[in-house]
Order: sequence, then structure tokens, then C-alpha cells
Amino acid sequence: MTAHRVKFDVIAEPVQVVTGTLLTEAAHEAGIDIAQPCGGQGRCGRCALQVVGGSESRSSVRSRSTLRLSPEDVAQGYVLACQAVVEGDVSIHVPPQEALERRLTTDRTVAEVQVPAGYDPAIDQTIRRVALTLTPPSMDDQTDDWSRLQTALRQETGIGELQVSLSLLRKIGPVLREGEWEVTAVLNLESRGQKVEGLQSPISNLQSAKLIDLQPGHIPADAPLWGAAIDIGTTTVSVWLVDLLTGEVVQQAAEYNRQIRRGEDVISRIIFASKNNGREEMRRLVLESINGLLERVVKRASSEWRVVDDQQLATNNQPPATNNQPPATNNQPPATNNQPPATNNIVKATIAGNSTMMHLLLGIPAESIRLSPFVTAVNHIPPLTAREVELAIHPEAAVDCLPGVASYVGADITAGALSSGLDDSEQVSLFMDIGTNGETVLGSHDWLVTCACSAGPAFEGAGVEHGMRATRGAIEEVWINSDTYEPTIRVIGDAAPKGFCGSGLISLLAEMFVTGVIDKGGNFNTSLPTTRIRKGAHGLEYVVVWANEGVNRDIAITHVDVDNLLRAKAAIYAGFTVLADAVGVPLETVERVLIGGAFGKYINVEKAVEIGLLPDMPWENFHFLGNTAVLGAYYALLDEKQRARIADIASRMTYIELSADNSFFEAFTSALFLPHTDMSLFPSVAGS
Amino acid sequence: MPVQIPKDKWPGQVRVATIGATEADGGTRTSVITVGGEKALPFMHFEAEMPYRPVIALEIKDRKPDDWSPLLLETWGEAMDAPGAWAKAAEAAGADMLQLSLSLTGVDGEPNTPDKAVTAVQSVLNSSGLPLAVFGPGQKEADNELLVPVAEATKGERIALGICEDKNYRTIVATAMANDHLVTARAPMDVNLSKQLNILITDMGLPLERIIMDPTTGALGYGIEYGYSVMERLRLAALQGDTMTQLPMIVTPGFEAWKAKESKVGTGVPAAWGDWLERAINWETLTAVALLESGADILVLRHPESVRRVRMAIEELMEAEELRLATGN
Repeated sequence: MTAHRVKFDVIAEPVQVVTGTLLTEAAHEAGIDIAQPCGGQGRCGRCALQVVGGSESRSSVRSRSTLRLSPEDVAQGYVLACQAVVEGDVSIHVPPQEALERRLTTDRTVAEVQVPAGYDPAIDQTIRRVALTLTPPSMDDQTDDWSRLQTALRQETGIGELQVSLSLLRKIGPVLREGEWEVTAVLNLESRGQKVEGLQSPISNLQSAKLIDLQPGHIPADAPLWGAAIDIGTTTVSVWLVDLLTGEVVQQAAEYNRQIRRGEDVISRIIFASKNNGREEMRRLVLESINGLLERVVKRASSEWRVVDDQQLATNNQPPATNNQPPATNNQPPATNNQPPATNNIVKATIAGNSTMMHLLLGIPAESIRLSPFVTAVNHIPPLTAREVELAIHPEAAVDCLPGVASYVGADITAGALSSGLDDSEQVSLFMDIGTNGETVLGSHDWLVTCACSAGPAFEGAGVEHGMRATRGAIEEVWINSDTYEPTIRVIGDAAPKGFCGSGLISLLAEMFVTGVIDKGGNFNTSLPTTRIRKGAHGLEYVVVWANEGVNRDIAITHVDVDNLLRAKAAIYAGFTVLADAVGVPLETVERVLIGGAFGKYINVEKAVEIGLLPDMPWENFHFLGNTAVLGAYYALLDEKQRARIADIASRMTYIELSADNSFFEAFTSALFLPHTDMSLFPSVAGS
Repeated sequence: MPVQIPKDKWPGQVRVATIGATEADGGTRTSVITVGGEKALPFMHFEAEMPYRPVIALEIKDRKPDDWSPLLLETWGEAMDAPGAWAKAAEAAGADMLQLSLSLTGVDGEPNTPDKAVTAVQSVLNSSGLPLAVFGPGQKEADNELLVPVAEATKGERIALGICEDKNYRTIVATAMANDHLVTARAPMDVNLSKQLNILITDMGLPLERIIMDPTTGALGYGIEYGYSVMERLRLAALQGDTMTQLPMIVTPGFEAWKAKESKVGTGVPAAWGDWLERAINWETLTAVALLESGADILVLRHPESVRRVRMAIEELMEAEELRLATGN
């Protein structure tokens, strides 16, 4: 095979690639990150690059598809990097890539988390820290170090069987001697899957444990002992740092899942992961997200502890707080590099996330999730350690991946069902997670049914002409004057508007509907006296922001967007009507609607009912819970009984596969209307 | 022991619609058609009344079509050259009603114009006293451009204007409202979509009595089962009291059946298929009769012989109703 030189204008040195290499691969080789929101399927058009030079240069790149590129773009040499194959030496111009912005947290307060009432680390928690004093060996007592440690532990706690990894076993002798036979052990009581009643009793009744950490000396009882509750969302990864001794959430942090650049929805990511080194790249990307967040929360927690703020920490370039240093040691010389990082104080992690995210985190092939008959490789993942998962916490830390139910009902839903209290009430409740996949659970403490429907990413701002995520500049609410058809908008971060986020789209759709800008079928009414309804490049559209209002282009919603939103809301509504039908429970007997998902927090109920996204019931029945998945992971992290409850939920949930049920399509077309074809389901909308 | 025949009792009833207006009602028609009013499934006369018999319309065009079967061209002959003559021939063939389809282009290949369309419709009205439905060429812009002047020129005739679809209904409905006409509303073989379109149209203010719904159907062997099932479910919903489905139904078995290979092709087919003309007429007739059984109120046909045969079927199916009325049961 022939090698070709590919020169990207943003990088000094050209790269050498063989014939047939995709431009995305060549860019990757050169160290350039090209966004591929569709997973490299050539559908989204966001990876467009420009071939520089004349026709000769152009012929060095063979384009398999130019979907989403205009004829003018193609004439100017633009190609889709994921669809363009290198066949000769070529120079490439890389246009500025859209930058991912971090979700603003300033105006959207961090969730207040209540420590579960009655949390007692000596009963609920599986992680224990035990100070041990061993009898030193002598010529009279030549017992080996490991047996000596076990004996001391048995005498102190009654634990008879202790497991340990090889790497920790290597440390035991030196640590025992360094501490002069006084040590502190961190244990994980391994009773998962066993009878939980045992946990009601004190530690001494337990039989078996795993040694996670052994430190020289007796560590002060208030030294940090942390756990991490993690939710891997398709869009956002959330990490809570938890003090296992008090149960308190010490820090929270969230950022975009770095996999987004390799696919915006789970299907695109599975496709990306199935190609070449895609699976490893996906694993690495999500680990970068999680580990970055872990580092961030630990840094903040440690600096708080040392009364040093982030900025000072950065400018002084002090090393992070190290293990076992009580506040009093602050004046001591800085910790040496040999000492373990503060993230080592995290000795347990509990992870929620949808089935695809869980597979990709663990590097387990996920293709079967996408293909009929849609099965996962594993729903109940066995206990793992941080070393094998490569989480940047204590290498021996217990990693607990929460169980899922099916390909499209994962641990985020089982954890959410727990934290929402769905499974713990006599009331029939509907729990829904509004996202790219609309997962819905219906049930009570007696029974649970669930389904997932592909709503598409419209509510997350994707697949919409001027859609964006809920970041600075996103229009999050719209009001339309019913006489003049002039809109008023509210923008996140008080910035110039850039596009619509999910809540803004729901708001806009509802306003357009009630003011008659669109009819019940989503068609624009061109006979209204306003210039805002016009024919654009993609058909009819309604202009919300004119370019001269401080933005460089008109921000409009097109009829294609309206159709996408209608389909998304119809899929979600149809999901729960099918669930209700499947168990013979009329929707009006549902007493509570529990709405999860970070996005769920910002939905305006009135508008969501007006467009038929949410069922028409009294507003007090709706409960917005925020990120229920990470909350469920937090409960499971603290309390083994809650962990057992999630396993119970996962095994009790009956999964209804909508693609195997023709009633879904009927329900879907019926819901593909504003608010619904059956107006009797929306009396409050009909009456308004 | 006497046998008890179980009878269903339905809470709902199909609305009654009248197409065409006589001089007394502000039009020029010598006859009108009235359809709907069913209180039971089709021809279940022992359960409840079926006050109006289904009617047969013949499809004619504003010019000689390029894509019709040679069998039809032979049958209608020179009448096809002028819409008025064709209308007269269709009335003579026994139609209750005419359905005029406007073409996108004339025989000369030039685009149809509002003037030409109005002239064609007026010559049909002048040549025949039958009530009329007028369908546009089936392209959004052309439909709106041609149907509005036609509706205005024929104000008060109670023509059924078509075809309203979910992506193009506003203009047609608005002109129907302004000029005292009706509309036909076509949805692609789906109960929900039919219902949605009816809601959209009534939302504009056109009364339900002036909408005839077209559920779309397929020919025998080309999806008629699906169409049948959708019509049956629409009618069941209507009888159960769902207001937005309580409309008479118009179907176009002539258009569907004459698209089928069995009707279209006369050579190179197996000998066992038999006589071409007989087969083609059977195809149209059987399609139409099946739709009759699924609740069709207006059947649009193309061949005169099919009209004769379908009429026979309607007579027989309605006999029990005559009997019921006669005996007062």
C-alpha cells in the first residue's frame, strides 16, 4: 500500500497515512479532534473539512457521501471527514470546530441532598475502617505477617475470612513494620447478594471481608473516608463525592460525556465503538470524563479542608492533600511525590448509567444492544475493582456497577426507580426519564413495568436546526403575543441568544400552538399577519430572533423541527399509554408522575401538558426530581439495604419491548398531534 | 324454539351530508345525493336503520387522460375529448354523481390555468344535472391555484372540493367555507390520521356536515385488506360515539383497480387470466363491493359496466332495508 502525506493547516507536521484511510482517522493521527456527533455515519455533516488546492488536490480525496453538504460547499472542496478517503497527498483546511461549553451551574443551583435519615455507617455501610494493634513477631511467635494481621482483625471484629489482592499483599510486611505493628485497615464487607438481614447486626457477626487499604499507624477517626456516586448519562456525567462516615455529599460536579464527540445518541456510539479501535476510544473518553470529575471534586474537597480555594491552589501549585493528613498537619512540609493522591481516599464507587454507557465504560462489546433481538452482554455486573476499571481512585476500591433490566432500560432507571420512591409506595406512580431515550416505569410496591422508546435527541437540542444544549445563550423560555405574534424570550446566562435548548423548544412549541402559529398537526399558518412566519431554506419557519437583535443569523424553528419535536413528544407519551394499557391501569388513576433526568428539572409543566408531552393531570401530581440516577447511586453507595433494593427492582421490573408490540405504533400516531388526537385525554387544554 | 339474533346497539351515528344544490337551494343541479346517517355497521338492517343507500360516482377528467387503460379509452371514446360530453355520457351510464379530476397540464402539455379549469367545470355543470365533486391535480400549489377560482365560480352548487390532506387543507377549506361547498379529506389509511385531519378542518370552522372523509384504499390484491380494516375501525369508532369519525366515507376503487396490472395489461399475461375486459371490470367491481361492505358511502368508479354491476350489488344489499321499512320492524 502507498503512503500519502496529509497536511492539516492547524498542525505543523503532515501525517503519513495509507491509501483508503478516512480523513477522520488521519486527523486523529495528527492529534486533531474532529467532532462526529453521528458516530461517523455521515449523517450529521458536522465533520466537514475543506480540501485545499485545485482539482488535482481534490482528486486525492474520494468522497463516499456528501449528504448535508450544499452543492456550493462541495464546489469549494468541502468533504465529510468521516466519509472521505485519502488516495493521494493532500492539504486540508480545518474550519473552527464548535466548542463544547460547560453547563452553567451558577444560575441552576446544585441539588440539595439530604443524608438518608438514620444513616449509621456502623450498620449500613459496607466500608469500615479499623485500627489494629498487632503483637510484634518474635522468636517465640514466628507467625507470618498475613496470618498475624488476620488474627488481629478477627480479635477486633470477628471477621474470619479476609481477602486481599496480590498488589496489596506485597505492601503488608513493610506497612506493618513502618507502623510498628499499629495499622489502620480499610475493609469492604462483602455481603452483596447475600441476605441483607445480616447487616442489621454489628460487624462482628460477619464472616468475610476484603482488605482494601492498609496504612501504617492509627489514623484519626475523622480523616477522610470517601465514596463516589457516579451517573454516566449519554449527555452528562455526574459525580458526587460522599463522606462515608457521615453520609454527606461533600462535592458535586458534572460535565459533558466526552463521548459526545463520537456520537450524540447511544446508537451512534455503539456504531462508532464497533469500528476499528472505537470501543477502546469510547472507554477512554468516558474514563477521562469520570476521572477528571473525580479529581475535581477531590481537589475542591481537599482545598476546603485545608481552607485554600481553588485559585490559590492553582497559583501556589501545591500538591493535592494527601492521605491521612488531619488539618493540624497543614503546617508540615508539602507532601512528597511518593505519597498517594487524595483521590485514593475514595475507596468505593457506585455507578449508574444506561446499559450502553455501562458497556462502553467497561469495554464490553455493545453491538448486540443495537441489533434485534436487542440483548445486552450483561445486566448484573459482578463486583469490580478500580484497578481493573481504571477509575482514578484507590486502586483496590470496590466498584459497584448497578444492575439494569434490558438493553434500553439500564441502571440509571433502576437507580431512579429507587430514589424516586416508586417501588416503595402503594400509590400507582409513573416514573419517566426524559432524554434521548424516553424510559418509563409504571408501578407501585407490588409491581413494576417498564419500556423505553427512542424519542430522539430533539429535546436535548440535537436534530433541530437551531438546537443547542442548555448552556449560555440557549433560549430556555418563549412567550408569543397572541395579537402581534411577537415573541419574548428568556436566555440562559443573560447572553445573546444562540439557539434553543430542550425546555425552550417545549415552551416555543406550546406557545406556537396556543397562539395558532401552528395548527394541531404542526403546520404553520401562513395567513397570519406577521413576517416571522416565512419560507426559509428548509421550508416554512417561524423566526424567534432576528439577526439584527445582537445575533449574526436569524434564529428560527422550521417545520422539520416541529415534526421532530412532535415525534419525540409522541414517542414519550405513547410509551406510557402503552404501559398503562399493558397492565390495564387507566392513566387517570396514576397518582404521581415522577420526572427524572437533569433536563426534567426545567420543564414547564403547563407547556408540556399543552403539547401533550405529559399527561393532563393536576400539577401537584408532578414531581420533578432532577438527576434520579445519581441520587439512586448515592443511596446504594451508603446503604447495602438500598443496594439490595435496586437489585430487587431490576429483577422485578417487567420489560415491555415496544418494537414487539404493534399497539405502540397506534398510540404513537394518535399522540402525533397537539395535544393528542383523543382530545378527551387533555380536558384542560381543550378548555383553554 | 325461536332463535334470538343478537343485536348490537350503538350510541353513535354517522352524520348526514348532501352534495349538490338544486335551484330551490341556490344551485343548478337537477338531483342531489345524500349519504351517511348509518346507526349500525353496513347493511345490518336488522340492528338499526341505514337511511341512505351508498351512491356511485363516475370519474371524468377535464381532458383526455394519458395514463388510462386502453379499455377505458375505448369505452368512453370521443366523449373524453370534452368534459361536457364526458359528463353527459357518464350520466347516461347511470352514475348518481360525477367526480371531475383537474389535470396538471392540458393535452398540449401546457400547464392548466384557473380559466381553463373554471371553463371545464362549467361545461360539466351545463351538460349534466348531477351533483359534482372536483379534485385538483394532487399537487399542493396547483390544487390551490385551480380550486379557489373553481369554488368561486360555482358558489352555492355544494360541490365537494378535494383533496384536503394534512399538509394542504387550509386554502381548500377556506374557499369551501366562503362559497358554500363541501370538502373531501384524505388521510393515508390510518384511523388516527383521518381523525386528525377532520379535527384540523373543523378547527377552521367548516361544519362536520360538509366534510366527506377519504380513508384511502387499495385495489383487490393491492392492500384492500388494510384499507378495509381501517374503514371498519373508523366506522366502529363513529358508532361508538367518536364525533371526529362520524363522517360519510368516499373511496376511489376505480382509480385503484385500474392501476392494477390485472386491469392495465392485456398482453403477455397468463392465458388462465381470461378475457382482459371481463377481468378488468371484475377487478373494479370486486374492489368496490368489498369497500361497500366496509362502510363506503360514495364509490368513485371508471367503467360503465362496473357501475351497473355495483348498482346491482347495492340494490340487493339494501333489499332488507326496504323490507324493514315496509314491515316497520
